[in-house]
Amino acid sequence: MRAVLGLLLLFALLPFLPLGDWRAFVLDVGFFVQVLAALALSWDLVARTGQLSLAHGAFFGLGAYGVGLLAPELGTLPALLLGALLAGLSALLLGAVALRLHGLYFAIASLAFSEVLRTLALKLPFAGGPIGLPVPPALGGAWPLAPYFLGLGVLLLAVALSLWAERGAFGLAQAATRQSEAVARVLGVRVVRVKLLSLFLGSLTAGLAGGVYGMKTLFLNPYDAFSLARAVEALVIPIFGGLYSTLGPLLGGVLLVSLEQALRLWIQEGYLVVYGGILVLAILFLPKGLLGLLGGRRG
Amino acid sequence: MRLEVKDLATGYGKAQVLFGVSLEVKEGELVALLGANGAGKTTLLRAVSGLLRPWQGAVLLNGRDLKGLSPARRARLALGHVPEGRQLFPLMTVEENLRLGAAFLAPRREKEGYERVYALFPRLAERRRQLAGTLSGGEQQMLAIGRALMGFPQILLVDEPSLGLSPRLAEEVLLALKEVARGGVGVLLVEQNVALSLEVADRAYVMEQGRIVLEGSPQRLSADPRVREAYLSL
Repeated sequence: MRAVLGLLLLFALLPFLPLGDWRAFVLDVGFFVQVLAALALSWDLVARTGQLSLAHGAFFGLGAYGVGLLAPELGTLPALLLGALLAGLSALLLGAVALRLHGLYFAIASLAFSEVLRTLALKLPFAGGPIGLPVPPALGGAWPLAPYFLGLGVLLLAVALSLWAERGAFGLAQAATRQSEAVARVLGVRVVRVKLLSLFLGSLTAGLAGGVYGMKTLFLNPYDAFSLARAVEALVIPIFGGLYSTLGPLLGGVLLVSLEQALRLWIQEGYLVVYGGILVLAILFLPKGLLGLLGGRRG
Repeated sequence: MRLEVKDLATGYGKAQVLFGVSLEVKEGELVALLGANGAGKTTLLRAVSGLLRPWQGAVLLNGRDLKGLSPARRARLALGHVPEGRQLFPLMTVEENLRLGAAFLAPRREKEGYERVYALFPRLAERRRQLAGTLSGGEQQMLAIGRALMGFPQILLVDEPSLGLSPRLAEEVLLALKEVARGGVGVLLVEQNVALSLEVADRAYVMEQGRIVLEGSPQRLSADPRVREAYLSL
């Protein structure tokens, strides 16, 4: 808990620290850490019910495209919220069809869902097709730090949701659902409702993160916004950091995203080989993620 | 509270398992449902608690037809189920497992629930902070029963509690169930251990190939030549 608050405080103070020449770079990395950690937390929220989502890249993309299409008409904040809502509604649609499926079967359904959405983004006439979609800068570009603090806002929301779920009866219901649906049912857990609510909240946050991401990159194309690579990142970060927790995805996001950026800077070409190697070692030697190093017990 | 099963038929896919089963469990009664492997005992419990849809027939709780109610709704109507093979949450402590039993069914009676379970199974009180996965088989079975009791069921379905337990522990667990029944809960006990079950039960049914073939008092069943030959090997 203290570590979670400490990391959040660090993010809040980062723009005010004397970083010298590195300031722009550090803040950029900080931004991506926030957005991807929020995405990872939103994936973990769904994973806590035992469902492996490969649709988080698509939720992220939907939020981003929602912002790209709506921000010119409605302005930054309404567009962000509506983009997130769009992601949430699409998740309810996916959930209505697929939530009775378990584990791997749900994963396949969510993968198909994300491919469908990417194809839609490619083919729909108003979505810009393969060329892509420009996104207006946050708040009219008046304040350069706006994306950074929007990212912090999304991360705060993701952390708050995760802590709320972890602490209360909802977290117990999630844990029971994950470990055995039949037992959860006979103990009075409304399993479908728990899974649907987790998926809805998880996709909402992922959509919000995508929207903020769009406002930073200022340009979207279907291959990046709906990429499977991002869906994979959404699950690699929590696995690396420690599943079913708040600190795990947060810590995993900080380390993995910074590591990726640093390697890109140092090694440049081929940095992904080193990055991949580190991931393999982590999976082999840290089966419980970074939290395992801290001696945490996870169920 | 009274549980009635009327002419129940069900199965998995095209394979029919139950062929018109009827039985009854009254308040405070320990009823044993006996039979060999594959007779359909577990299937019957799954149909009663709503995990499996009946093809025909009805499950009534105090005269109310449970048709179409989800397992969670049935649990809220005070129908408890201890599933086969215990199915604890191994990485949670004893107390967390118990808490899960109360969280959705009787959140305000948690403290009362702990007291009741620890009084029934004092060993669980000693191990309350231990991970459930590290308990012995007998303790795990006690915890599974305790977890169901935390929801204050009035009808309790218990599936093969003696499975894999030493005779002494099996007896201890069944006697605890007797105690639960004395407290006013109707217990439907599914068992393969016929001799032991007949010692504690108030009434018993014998099931074969999806049908009830015998029913009556333990004295009557222990005297029945078919039971003596097939299950008691006398």
